[in-house]
Amino acid sequence: MRVLVVYCHPREGSFNAAVRDTVLERLKAAGAEVRLHDLYREGFQPVLTTEEWTGYEDCPKNQEPVADQVADVAWCDTLIFIYPTWWYGLPAMLKGWLDRVLLPDVAFIMPKVEDENIKPGLHHITRMGVFTTCGASRWLTFFIGAPGKRTLMRGVGLLLAPRTRKVFAAHYLMDSAKEPALKAHLAKVATKVDKLTGYRSSLEPQAQTQ
Amino acid sequence: MPRAFVLFAHPVPESLNAAAHQVVVDTLKGKGWEVDDCDLYAEEFNPVLSRKEREDYHDTAINTAPVQAYVDRLRAADAFILCHPIWNFGYPAILKGFFDRVMLPGVAFDLQDGKIAACMNNIRKIAAVTTYGATPMRAFLAGDPPKRIFKRAVWGTIRPEKMRYIAQYDMNNITPEGCKAFLARVQKEMEAF
Repeated sequence: MRVLVVYCHPREGSFNAAVRDTVLERLKAAGAEVRLHDLYREGFQPVLTTEEWTGYEDCPKNQEPVADQVADVAWCDTLIFIYPTWWYGLPAMLKGWLDRVLLPDVAFIMPKVEDENIKPGLHHITRMGVFTTCGASRWLTFFIGAPGKRTLMRGVGLLLAPRTRKVFAAHYLMDSAKEPALKAHLAKVATKVDKLTGYRSSLEPQAQTQ
Repeated sequence: MPRAFVLFAHPVPESLNAAAHQVVVDTLKGKGWEVDDCDLYAEEFNPVLSRKEREDYHDTAINTAPVQAYVDRLRAADAFILCHPIWNFGYPAILKGFFDRVMLPGVAFDLQDGKIAACMNNIRKIAAVTTYGATPMRAFLAGDPPKRIFKRAVWGTIRPEKMRYIAQYDMNNITPEGCKAFLARVQKEMEAF
């Protein structure tokens, strides 16, 4: 299993960092190969430039500005996102990663003839995990329609292999969260990662059908 | 004179989105609006919320300092119009960063125990003028996240008297006539805004 972890939080020591460490620990236990991109630490530049937009469909030249990221997307069979939800969506940093890295011929195939639709291009990815934290309550997040979750689980999800195994976990009301709830959430994250990797599947009969 | 704050986020002046933006600005001016035209790419807006900003996020005494000029422009507006493409079922990063960094607690909303109260009472009308690569069906299947942010989250923090969502889908298959029709629709909407 080859896992690309895309992690996005500006502050080391945040709860998202704890989620990241839990995810990495469970991946290690499952014996997965892992590549981690910490977008803030890398100083990733999230703004799609004028040149990138005009050369957007010029494949494979369009990959050059983000070649290292593209190589890891091509390499992986499992994609994991870890980030805080801001304004119900992805931080600009992570949104920019989607804008600049998920390019034509990397993530999807542009229409070649008239009236054709965009075709998925990430069929080599068969597992996706999304782990986030929300300042808003679960109720409010669902009322708004959980746009960040949808951008990844459905928007990016549409590009992956059919019947991709997906897991999602969010902690709500982060600003007033207490220690026991945070601990319980990390345990939930660990369980979800195990479900994603199939680790301990021998103990879980329902997972054996996968 | 009523004031419109137009937030524009497209990197290429020759794009249909840029043309729509120009129609918005010209039409509003023609109808007697004073237009504050904020071109995020031209102004080289930095969309990345920094570590310091994250730490000060909830402190309404100091959280606006790094972006005070943008906060002032928002607060001076009677109408708020977004002109932007949809990329990967979301806002371009440069626009998402405007929400992250400028639409702060104490500016766009008051946050208490996860409950949100509106606080941009100066703005009475909002509109989004936007272009999708996706077809309407594909956008619907993805749950159309940017439309939800606008029609629910932005609406909720402003509670405007009027809201318009003017979208062109399936940009990859659009004809010149389709472009013209879209621009005409934008003009008509802005004349009636």
